[in-house]
Amino acid sequence: MPILQVTNLTKSYSGIKALDNVQLTLQRGEVHALMGENGAGKSTFMKILIGLIDADSGEIFFEGNELKRGGVNNVQRKGISMIHQEILIIPELTVAQNIFLGREKEITSSKTGWLNDDRINSKAKELLEQMGVDISPYIKMKYLSVAQMQMVEIAKAISNDAKVIIMDEPTSAISDKEVSTLFRIIRDLKVKGVAIIYISHKMDEIFKISDTITVLRDGKYIGTKSAAELDNGSLIKMMVGREIESMFPESNTQKGKRVLSVKNLNKKGKFTDINFEVHTGEILGIAGLMGAGRTEVARAIYGLDKLDSGEIYINGEHVKVKSADEAVKKGIGYVSEDRKGLGFIPQMSVLKNMTLASLSNHRQGIFINPKSENTVTEAMVENLKVKSSGVNQKVTHLSGGNQQKVVIGKVLLSSPKVIILDEPTRGVDVGAKFEIYKLIHDLAAKGIAVIMISSELPEILGMSDRILVLSKGKQTAMLSKEEATQELIMKYAVE
Amino acid sequence: MKNICLSGLLFLSILMTGCNQSKTDDSGGKKLVIGATMLSMQNEFVVNVADAMEAKAKELGAELVLVDAERSALKQVEQVESFIAQGVDAIILNPCEVEASSPAVKLALDAKIPIINVNSETSTAPTAFVGSDDEESARIAMKYISEKLGGKGNILMMHGFMGQAAQIKRDKGAKEILKATPGLKLLAEQSGEWDRAKAMSLTENWIQSYGSKVNAIFAQNDEMGMGAVKALEAAGLKGKILVVSVDAIPDALQAVKKGALDATVFQDAKQQGGQAIEAAVKAAKGEKVEASLLIPFKLVTKENVGEFLK
Amino acid sequence: MRSNIQAQFRNFGQYGIFVAFVIICLVLAFSTPRFFTISNLMTIGNQVSINALLAFGVTFVIITGGIDLSLGSMVAVTGVVAATFAHPDTYPVVVPIFIGLAAGSAIGAFNGLVITKSKVPPFIVTLGTMTIGRGLALIFSKGRPVSNLSDSFNFIGGGNLFGIPFPIIILIIAFIVCSIILNKTILGRYMYAVGGNEPAARASGIRVNNVKMWVYTICGLLSAMGGILLTSRITTGQPNAGAGFELDAIAAAIIGGTSTSGGTGTMTGTLIGALLIGVISNSLDLLNVTSYYQQVVMGAIIIGAVVLDSMGKEG
Repeated sequence: MPILQVTNLTKSYSGIKALDNVQLTLQRGEVHALMGENGAGKSTFMKILIGLIDADSGEIFFEGNELKRGGVNNVQRKGISMIHQEILIIPELTVAQNIFLGREKEITSSKTGWLNDDRINSKAKELLEQMGVDISPYIKMKYLSVAQMQMVEIAKAISNDAKVIIMDEPTSAISDKEVSTLFRIIRDLKVKGVAIIYISHKMDEIFKISDTITVLRDGKYIGTKSAAELDNGSLIKMMVGREIESMFPESNTQKGKRVLSVKNLNKKGKFTDINFEVHTGEILGIAGLMGAGRTEVARAIYGLDKLDSGEIYINGEHVKVKSADEAVKKGIGYVSEDRKGLGFIPQMSVLKNMTLASLSNHRQGIFINPKSENTVTEAMVENLKVKSSGVNQKVTHLSGGNQQKVVIGKVLLSSPKVIILDEPTRGVDVGAKFEIYKLIHDLAAKGIAVIMISSELPEILGMSDRILVLSKGKQTAMLSKEEATQELIMKYAVE
Repeated sequence: MKNICLSGLLFLSILMTGCNQSKTDDSGGKKLVIGATMLSMQNEFVVNVADAMEAKAKELGAELVLVDAERSALKQVEQVESFIAQGVDAIILNPCEVEASSPAVKLALDAKIPIINVNSETSTAPTAFVGSDDEESARIAMKYISEKLGGKGNILMMHGFMGQAAQIKRDKGAKEILKATPGLKLLAEQSGEWDRAKAMSLTENWIQSYGSKVNAIFAQNDEMGMGAVKALEAAGLKGKILVVSVDAIPDALQAVKKGALDATVFQDAKQQGGQAIEAAVKAAKGEKVEASLLIPFKLVTKENVGEFLK
Repeated sequence: MRSNIQAQFRNFGQYGIFVAFVIICLVLAFSTPRFFTISNLMTIGNQVSINALLAFGVTFVIITGGIDLSLGSMVAVTGVVAATFAHPDTYPVVVPIFIGLAAGSAIGAFNGLVITKSKVPPFIVTLGTMTIGRGLALIFSKGRPVSNLSDSFNFIGGGNLFGIPFPIIILIIAFIVCSIILNKTILGRYMYAVGGNEPAARASGIRVNNVKMWVYTICGLLSAMGGILLTSRITTGQPNAGAGFELDAIAAAIIGGTSTSGGTGTMTGTLIGALLIGVISNSLDLLNVTSYYQQVVMGAIIIGAVVLDSMGKEG
């Protein structure tokens, strides 16, 4: 008997079907990947499963009994837990306090309102040791890394006696080493008979960890196959409904003159002696593990952080960049990895976000010329194929991929000579990824020097003309497209 | 933050007092030190009383340490505690509140330091009270209105901050006369919070409500009276409506002189301040002082305003 | 279809406060015949003008994610300073106006400078300036009102132009100028960006500190306009004037839909917020409601208006 059986699940919002006859069969001890592009209905599906919203019709059987609605708490108590993409924690409380938050009474079998922190701490310690992770239960949550917080969330789920754990993009913000810890824990859970629903955009991970794959597209159930039956191409075909011959478009751009060169960049505790140059029409990939200093180098070049020493040249001219506004004026563009934090203004429309870095182009005295602003934005939206209901739609209402395009569009409108793209496809679905790759090639073709930072090795290998590898703040290799392989990059990345 | 700064200043001033205390003046006798805590140095009348106190203290050769309680009874009690700790010879208290400032009086009496209340009262009786009877001021003002209207007409009354001693007493005095004069009708009463701008808005709204039905406005202080005058002038009603208020601040005296304000009631800040110092010095020297020194109010109209203008 | 419905809900959110305002006005018009008369409406406009000017200023500040608690003190300082130069037969009337506005702008710029250079939260900085400002007003005036002002100065707050009270004319001009700054200029766009997401604004090449300097300076300037208007209206510069004005101004902005977390808000909303407060206090006087009850009613209506507004926005 499957632990979870979902049939004919349907959910509509104002007449639009978000889920249409979706089904899922989950066995004990199975890692079941749920795949689909953004907007395919995965999150609606999961919200229904954990009791956050109700379905219009359809059945959910859990351990053979129909799962009665009754809110998140009820579902959690029965044994279904979710590790959210954006981790929900109280930073000022300790690890132990977070794990047992809301259940202090039952855990300590206290009948009064008094807390028993000793009991909570020892329970938490036991739990974390069982999982084989080295996290102190006494430390405040805010001092943990994202990966560690995730482990705490998993501990919380286990402590809830979860029989089904849903993981939503668990590896989106953690390093490769941490991914392997996560996978070890997932395998331990499997052995204990816990079923995992695993949501991710990263193909290589899916094939590494999952047993079964279910694909949704546009709210419809497409199919369920064993992971062994599928490969990259056939899975993508199921997801997007068409064949994508090659993920990475062919480049035929000729490398031109040198645009940006940096010499001996240093910032204490972050990176030392960074030297590289980028030419027109060239894509320079920067690879490395989390914490290797890739983003830090980019931020320093863009003037967001101060350099301790080092020189930056643009078109042979020595420039000093002390702030982002100076960088923009000098022709440097930066698309941050932190789209929500540094990319856009949530309350603003597509148009207002896009022109934010180049308003001086639409200046009439102190006023903004709305006409020229509109023309330029419309053109860019069309050029980048941003899917929105119009340039006045709020950016927060767009999908991740389209938000990313808006941010790239904003940087492009400031006419950069060199553009730094930091994790340009993070949190972006497959179809949009492909479009962003094409876009990056177009930029290079237009004569912009491109620097692309990425944690996904296939992306680095597929896109870059040359690859700079960083490790612990040091530059360990500069590889040409021809010599680079995943193994070689990893070798230098851990050096 | 404000509190910290001010208590810092207070501390400094007390330190300085302490230094002064050890000195002796030219005549060889010990120079008397009087500590005074005032209701609020943002209030013009209180500032006038304080000025009079300083002048008198200088004249009598006493050292005056003057602090501002900023309308906080708690702060006032703390200030009196500091005075006691520093061993001043006498304390002058310009109380913030009837009840809440009372502990200060008790503290001083327990420490055997004479304490003189100036301008308003506390429920605990001090060594001496120097001031005027607020009820009387309202009676004087209302009687004047009654006389002018021939005992018949519609009246609006503007209160101060509700619940403060002055508001309660002036309300009581005014109502006494209204009760005794059945021809006078109180159309409406509302608080102007002692504030000129608020009183002006209130009067504007009243004009919308009652228009020319109104015969007189009694404002419980001059600030509000001036606000009422401004509003009436703007509406072209000044000639028709009588405005009378209390305190006789310089602005109000000017207005009385010009005929804009019909009358105000003079509360003698100079006498209150001066006599408070005299009483404090006497008490500090161990001489007998009268328990209550009432300084009479005087009605100020266009006829006698010259006496009050400096 | 779905987005249509959402858009309608959003529209309601945007206009919710306006709807509430109209409903309250209708209720008042029926409960007292004296409410809906030209002269009473002029009275309200006159009374609202000072709070509205301050509310416009603080709207700019709140949109950038800041706060200014020194408004009331700036009203007092600028009023006292202007009054000092406004005695009859001394200087032409432009002198006190100019000096008053300069004083307000200077205090505002001081706020901006400390906030941008020290990284101390605006709440703390302007709390300090609030106390400093009050002290300066008392120092300038030696604790006494500055009276005996020239007729031309008194015209600002008490005069009429084409039968319309001069404060209302100032209010309308200020409203138009502030709306234009917010909607049509680069500075206005940057204000929204800074309040919406400051790190992202900085990363877009916006000089965030410059924007903040402007915003606090403009807020100081508008407070000075309020201070001069108040001084002229009551024909004295009072060092204790304006106490608590900052709260009314902030209330007007928030009632008008400006989010205290920054990034949203409109001048129209703020104007309606200010009018709402003015209308309520005017009508409660007309209905002769005791001041005890007035405070309760005012507080309840403020909360009610904002609840209505946020219910509209959730859709």
